[in-house]
Parts: sequence; structure tokens; C-alpha cells
Amino acid sequence: MTLSRQSALGLYVHVPFCARRCEFCAFYEVPPRRADVERYLACAERELAELHLPRRAETVFWGGGTPSILAPADLERLAGATLGASGGTPEEWTVETTPATCRADRLAVLKNSGVTRVSIGVQSFDEAILAGLGRLHTTAQVSEAIGAVRAAGIGNLNLDLMFALPGQTLEEWERDLRTAIAAGPEHISTYCLTIEESAPLFARLARGRLSRRTPDEEAAFYERTWDLLEAAGYRQYEVSNFARPGYECVHNLNTWRMREWAGVGPAAASQLGLRRYANAANLARWAEGVEKGAPARTDEVILDEATLATDAVVFGLRMVEGVDLAELAARFPSHDWAEVARKASELEGQGLAEFDGRSLRLTRRGRLLADEVALEFF
Amino acid sequence: MANVLNKRNFCIIAHIDHGKTTLSDRLLEATGAVQKREMKDQLLDSMDLERERGITIKSHPVTVRYKHTDGTEYELNLIDTPGHVDFSYEVSRSLAACEGALLLVDAGQGVEAQTVANATLAVNQNLAIIPVINKVDLPGADIEGVRHQIEEILSIPADDAVLASGKTGIGIGDILTAVVQRVPPPRWADYPQARMLIFDCVYDAFKGVVCYVRVFSGSIKLNDQIMMMSDGAKTEVKEIGRFSPKMTACAAGEGLSAGDVGYITTSIKDLSEVKIGDTITMTADPAAKPLIGYKAVKPMVFTGIYPIDTSDYEKLKVSMAKLRLNDAAFTYQAENSVALGFGFRCGFLGLLHMEIVMERIRREYNLDIISTYPSVVYKVKLTDGREIEVDNPVKMPDPSTIDTISEPTIEASLHIPSGSIGDILALVMEKRGVCGRTETIDGHRVILHVTLPLNEILIDFNDRLKSITKGYGSMDYDLADYVASKLVKMDILVNGDPVDAFSCIVHEDKAVGRGRQLCAKLKELLPQSMFKVAIQAAIGAKVIARETLSALRKDVLAKCYGGDITRKRKLLEKQKEGKKRMKQIGSVSIPQEAFVSILKTNT
Ligand SMILES: Nc1nc2c(ncn2[C@@H]2O[C@H](COP(=O)(O)OP(=O)(O)OP(=O)(O)O)[C@@H](O)[C@H]2O)c(=O)[nH]1
Ligand SMILES: C[S@@+](CC[C@H](N)C(=O)[O-])C[C@H]1O[C@@H](n2cnc3c(N)ncnc32)[C@H](O)[C@@H]1O
Ligand code: SF4
Ligand SMILES: [Mg+2]
Repeated sequence: MTLSRQSALGLYVHVPFCARRCEFCAFYEVPPRRADVERYLACAERELAELHLPRRAETVFWGGGTPSILAPADLERLAGATLGASGGTPEEWTVETTPATCRADRLAVLKNSGVTRVSIGVQSFDEAILAGLGRLHTTAQVSEAIGAVRAAGIGNLNLDLMFALPGQTLEEWERDLRTAIAAGPEHISTYCLTIEESAPLFARLARGRLSRRTPDEEAAFYERTWDLLEAAGYRQYEVSNFARPGYECVHNLNTWRMREWAGVGPAAASQLGLRRYANAANLARWAEGVEKGAPARTDEVILDEATLATDAVVFGLRMVEGVDLAELAARFPSHDWAEVARKASELEGQGLAEFDGRSLRLTRRGRLLADEVALEFF
Repeated sequence: MANVLNKRNFCIIAHIDHGKTTLSDRLLEATGAVQKREMKDQLLDSMDLERERGITIKSHPVTVRYKHTDGTEYELNLIDTPGHVDFSYEVSRSLAACEGALLLVDAGQGVEAQTVANATLAVNQNLAIIPVINKVDLPGADIEGVRHQIEEILSIPADDAVLASGKTGIGIGDILTAVVQRVPPPRWADYPQARMLIFDCVYDAFKGVVCYVRVFSGSIKLNDQIMMMSDGAKTEVKEIGRFSPKMTACAAGEGLSAGDVGYITTSIKDLSEVKIGDTITMTADPAAKPLIGYKAVKPMVFTGIYPIDTSDYEKLKVSMAKLRLNDAAFTYQAENSVALGFGFRCGFLGLLHMEIVMERIRREYNLDIISTYPSVVYKVKLTDGREIEVDNPVKMPDPSTIDTISEPTIEASLHIPSGSIGDILALVMEKRGVCGRTETIDGHRVILHVTLPLNEILIDFNDRLKSITKGYGSMDYDLADYVASKLVKMDILVNGDPVDAFSCIVHEDKAVGRGRQLCAKLKELLPQSMFKVAIQAAIGAKVIARETLSALRKDVLAKCYGGDITRKRKLLEKQKEGKKRMKQIGSVSIPQEAFVSILKTNT
């Protein structure tokens, strides 16, 4: 298996601090208490220092939580440690921010350190919806944040937007999209609201105060999104992601292509060598592990060729370009590719995919059913 | 070993939910049979299924020691029985092992259909009946009203009734006293040879075939050479013990003697060699005449049961043999179906009985199974003069060869509040029933005697009766005559493929309505998939109802990054597992639940 030989390598750092938990959020995050931030920084530094990546990481991604909640000096510390681990300046370095924390002083530090891409969690341009989601920002702050990113000289900007939000109509969503397009980012991510059990919104669902959208309703949101963004010159390259040509997020592309990535920080996931695992999703447990030199990990699996090959197909099909079965067959030769090709032809017959014997990509209808399609290969 | 005069054998009988098992809890506590810390509610309901559903399915025997106020210690063998009509066969078997019965009547509900039915069974077996007005702690308890009903409906002097509450423990002492004083000591104890009745059987993974026995005369101990009187089969006692309430082996050298209830295992391996109702005697000195056995019960409802995975057929066969051992009212016979492969045509006493048996097969034998639409046995007169019996809609001959079809009817007595007569009559009419006599019990209740086609009460009659009467109505029934009727076979097609499991026989006039109902229900039950699915009901080639299940338009997780891969994988694996447990008919996967849920259509 040619997994570890010269394939792209990414470095993900999870910064688990948020000022307040948003209603829809199921990510691991805690309030930024000074003592916790200190411990986090010390442990992240140590974890990064002890990482010893097999080669240079071409991409870095700081996700959260809210990385931009850290003070400029803290950002500088974390950036130094990151660069130490990545083995040189990465070609793409993304940092997630919220509008309220995406400010000049921090952006200056980030730009200086080598950050190339900033993502702002806009979610919505509707004040009432923002308030309902428990977001701590206003639409005015979004404009300021976008201005600040540009002023800092960062040339790759992403806006995160969410749709099918409680009370949101298709027309309101369309307005949000137009506002986002007008702001001129290079990249737009659009996420259909999903409500997981650990998210505060779930309690409202359970109590019957909120009802789930039907798949048909959600499909309508998706299709409107895809039409609008394509027309505005944003090319869709994955279920939820759109970019001006050349501005796709390489770090994320590499996860869908089943390459390698190392995760640092609580709850960060890794796929390195032939192992896949996640750090404990708990600041104290993670920190203790790092301090003792015995990492606290969960869900560790040894990857075999069949698993990786299946995942490369299943997650690869989320991308508009689809998967190149010939290339995958070269990477994972022992997999039953004849069976995959048989299923691929079946999907083509059902109008869910296009297959020319080598490259397999989902049609629009297929992409909306990517999970059902995935079951076919599982 | 207690003197036979100091033993009492009784069972607890009542309508469903009148508190038999809860009252048994108190009796176990009062006699110290169960330590406080081991006590839990409805202790005798030991099967998971019983605990989940809160109903008793099997009779449960237990032996307790009771020190009476006169200083004598009594050995009491009590059997807690189920109340649901589908399990009345369990009750009659338990009665045969006893001399007395506690007849419980819920003080809030009063006498109901199974109160009457079970009381009648006990009277026919010459048992001493102790009426107990139970749940007197209820705020809505109507003790005087219930006394009146006991006299009027059951013809038992109300003065004999003991007031009790299984919840608070009121009256437990009175019940124990009544048992000692009013239940006669074991009968037929002085018969010259040993005779014991097998009143139940279970298959135990460790012990093998376990027979529940009531010793009437003589005694039995380890290594005794015994004989089954029905076929003369000889065997040896391998283990012997009592229910305390768990099976507990007798101490070395001890055994069971006249009046005792316990269990034995033997060297018999073949499950079919043990028959419930058989009499055991000693090989060396056999009895001349067996005890009165049981009347074989006739199942009334038939369905096909098939393994989802066709390679599970043998496993299913073995599990049915084991279950049958424990449930004589259940019958099965091999059959096969084009769509479903090899399976069994099974007979049940009712729909609940069917549901329970299926659930037990799933759990106790870990098999995924589906069932076909239930049917009764039709008598079909062919144009060539022959008459055949049809218990499977798929086997119904071509209409052109049929002269007449007759269906079984039942005589039912519906115990209902007077206020609901109008609605119940409408229900009976809708179900093609004919009303007979009406008996007034008191100002509030009446008994309606009606004749109904059996196939009309299979599905939802009881549920509707309950809902119309807000839970206060109940029914009991006996099989009556076969009556000629205009019946047709209706098929259900999924994407053009007939699903034999859903085929049924319906009355001509009701076919369209029933067809619509089934299609609509199936539309609800089938999961949306990547294709559109057509669901149709048809009589012969003529489609009489249709529904379309639209294709699923969206099923994709918006956000899916590095950290989501493991989680997504787990989810897909679970879905895949779920899919494997569905029945594939053509291109459509039908969940197991659909086969049972389809029966729960509410009009
Ligand atoms: N208030 C009150 N409730 C009771 C009493 N006895 C039982 N119950 C309740 O009545 C319900 C039925 O009790 P069970 O003991 O399971 O009734 P059962 O007669 O064994 O039921 P089946 O075996 O299914 O026929 C339960 O919810 C009990 O908690 C009582 O004396 N007083
Ligand atoms: C990991 S979050 C971090 C970004 C930053 N903390 C913020 O909220 O602005 C990245 C993005 O995921 C999306 N997201 C988070 N929870 C979601 C949910 N329950 N359903 C759909 N999208 C969600 C939001 O668009 C969010 O901006
Ligand atoms: S959505 Fe972003 S800001 Fe809100 S709680 Fe989650 S990680 Fe924090
Ligand atoms: Mg009970």
C-alpha cells in the first residue's frame, strides 16, 4: 500500500475555546479561562514538538472552537510551535475565526506567521436568526471582519454559512447568499443545519419546540444554493464547498482523498501511517496525556487496504471531481475494484453517477444522496 | 417432607392486569420466600418480554412455606397465570395442577370477560374458588359494585370475597388463611400407584428438556425409572427440584411426593417425545389409568413465518421445536413461498400470541424472521364437488374453480359499559357481525352476545373495542360455525412484485377499503429509497388501490471533515447492518417491523 509514500500531509490544530456555545454546535469547546488557555498552550506546544512528522506538512488548519479568540501573544506562541512541527512554511494555512474575534491585531500576527487563508463563521446575515442561534455577533461585525482580513493582506477568504435554520425561508437564504457573494470572498462553505444530540438545539427538538425539516425541504435549499453560487462564478467542488478557480481548500481536499493528516489538541483526529485515531475530546484528559507522555486517544483503528480504499471511494464521491478508480487501484491494489466498477455502472444506470470506466463522479441527484450511495460501497 | 394434609395447591386467575403478579409478590414476601433485597416488582414475570410489556405470558409456579396462626406449617404451591385471552390455555393447564383458585377482580374495573371465562374454567375443574376483590387501595375502587357483580355474574356468594391490595399489602393475611381453610388438601393422593402430571415444559440451554410436574400420588426422586403413560416411553430422572421461585435442585436423597409441585429433567433428548398433559408413572409399578390430560387446543390464526436469511431455516426449525415444547398452543408445519423461500405455517390462539412467539424466536434464538398476513382456515367447495381447507391466502385456488368459500365464525360475549352500546354495535356491524342477546349486569354494564366472522376480529377488533370503551370493555369468544361468504383474495404488489406475505382473504365489499388501508400503511412503513416505489392492491389482475412512495431526494451529511470520518463510518456500518435485517423483495427492502406493523392499521 502506498499510503505513506509521498502522499500529501496536513497538520490540524484544534483550539477548543469559545466565548459561548452556539445553539447548533456539537464541536468540542470550553470557555477561555486563563488557566485553561495556559495549560492548553503549553500542552499544544509540547504535542507539536513531539509530533515528528514524517515529512513536511503542505497544509495547516487551525480549527475550533475559535482559534481567533486567543490573544495576539498566544497566537504567536501557537504559530511558532506549529511552524516548528510542520517543517517549514506551509503552502496553505487556514485559521477559523468568528466575526467578533476576527480583528486587525490578531490578523497581523497571523499574516506575519504565514497564514494564507482565513475563514469567518458568518452563518447568517439575518440579525434575528443570529440571535436565535446564540451567536455573539451582528451583521455589522461581519463587514468589519471582512474588511480587516483584506486590510491585513490575506488574499484567501472563506465565509461559512448555514441554511435550513429554524424559521429560515428559502427566500431569506437566497438573500444571505447574495450578500455573501457581494462581499467577494474567494471561497464559500454552505452547511445544511444538522442537529446532533449533544447540541443545545437538540433539547428543543426533543421537547417538540422545533421540528426537523423534511429531506425534500432540505433538498430544495441545497439546489437553490448550488444554482446561485455556480451562476456567481463559485465552482462547487464538494457537497458544501464552493470556490473561485484555484482557491479550493487543499487541506480538506486531502482528507476526502484519504491522504494523511496529524491532529493536535483535544478532539483532533489523525490519520497517519496506517493508524486512524482521535485525541480525547476533553481538555483535561488530553492535557494530562500530553503531560505524562502517554497520549489519551479514542477510536484508534489500524487501517487496512480495504478500509482505506472504501473510504477513498465513499468520501471521494463527495467531491464534484469524483474519484479516479485507476489511480485508487494503483494506491490500493488488493481491493476488489471489479466489484466497485460493477456498483459504479449500476449507479450510472440509476442516473446517480457518471462513469466512463475510470473516473466515477456523482450527478447532482447522486450528490444529494451521497450517504445512500456510500452504503452501496460499504 | 410435609404431610399431604398440610399442602395446598392453588393458582391465581383473573382478567388481564387485575393484579395477579403483583399480589403474588406480596404472598412471596409474606411467606419469606424471597429476601427483601432480592424483591422486585412482578418478580414472577421473569421473561424479559414479560417485564417489558408488563404482562404475564407464561404460568409461573412457586413453592412457599407458610406458618399458619394455628402453628402448623403449610407447603403452598401457587401458580401465577396470564390474564390475556390468547393465553387462556396456560390457565387451564395450571388449573389442572391445583385444588383451588384465587379469582381476582380489580375493584376499579369490576368483572370482565376473562374473569368470567377463567372462573368458568375453574368451576369445570371442580376447584375451590376464593374471590378476591383486589386493588381496594384505588381511589376509584367500587367494592360494593364488584360484590354485586360477583354474585350476579359469577354466582359466587359475595360474603366469601376477601378484600385485598397487592400494592399496599392489605388482606394478604386473610388470603393465606382462606387458602389454608378453603382450598382442600391434595386430591387423589391415595391412588395406589405414582401419578404425576406434566403441566408445562421448557427447553433450557443447560438442562435440556425440563418438565414441570404436579405429583398427585406416590413420590419421585433422583435416578427413578419412570414411564410416560401416553406412549410408554421409559426414561430416568436426571435432576429433580422445586421452584423457589428459581429452579432449585432437591437436597440429596430428597424428592417430591404427593401434592408437591416441582420440575424434573430426564434422559430424553428428543423434544417431540415429551408431551404437556402426559402422566408420568413408575416403570416398576405403573398406574393403570392416567390422570385426565389436556384437551388439545386448536389454533385459530395462521401465518407463515420465514427466516430473513434463508440459510437460517434449520435453525428456525430447531427453535420452533423448542418453543413448541413450552407452548403447546403453538403449532407449525413446513411450507414454502416463491418470494420468501422455506419457512413454516404456524398456528396461534390469537394475534398477541403470534406477536409473542415471534418475539421469543427473535430474542431467545437470535433469528431474524418475518411473518405473513394472518389468516384463518377457510373451507372451499370446488366446482368439481371436492372440499378443501385453506389456511394460507396464497393457496386459495383460482376463482373459476371455486363454488363457495366458507369462513369460521365466533360467538363472542362483549362486556361493555352501557354508554358505549351504540358505538360497539356500529363496530360489530362494520365487522360483518350479527347481534344476539343483550344481558344487563347492573346499571353500568351489559354483556352483548354477537356472532362475528373470525377473520374480522384478527386485526384490530380488540383495540377498537378498548378504545371505544376507554379500556373498560373486554371480550371472550368461542369458535362457532362455518358460514358461506363472498370472499376474495387480495394481493399487494410492491413495484409490480406481489409480496405473498401481504396477501389476504377479504370480503368482497370490503376489499377496496382494506386495499387502500394496506397501501397507505405500507407507504408509511417502507423507508424511502433512491427510487420511487409503487404500492398496489389487486384482486387478480385488477388493481383496486395504489399509493406511490416518492424517491428520497436528499441524504447527505453537510459537514464531513477529518474528525467526522470515524463517526460517519460507524453510522454507515449501523445502517448497513439494519439493511441486512430487512427482507429484500425485488429492489425494495422491507423492514421486519413492517410485517407486524401492517396489522395495526387503524380505521
Ligand atoms: N393501585 C393498585 N395497583 C395495582 C395493584 N396490583 C397491581 N396493580 C397495578 O396493576 C397493573 C397490573 O399488575 P399485574 O400484577 O402485572 O397484573 P396481572 O394480573 O399479573 O397482569 P397479567 O399477568 O398481564 O394478566 C400494574 O401496573 C400494577 O402496578 C393494587 O393492589 N393496587
Ligand atoms: C468548526 S465550526 C468553527 C467556526 C467558528 N467557531 C464559528 O462558529 O464561527 C465550522 C463551521 O461549521 C459549521 N457548523 C457548525 N455546527 C454546525 C451544525 N450543527 N450544522 C451545520 N453546520 C455547522 C458552521 O458554519 C461553522 O462556521
Ligand atoms: S459554532 Fe463555532 S463559535 Fe459556536 S460554539 Fe461551535 S465552535 Fe464555538
Ligand atoms: Mg401477571
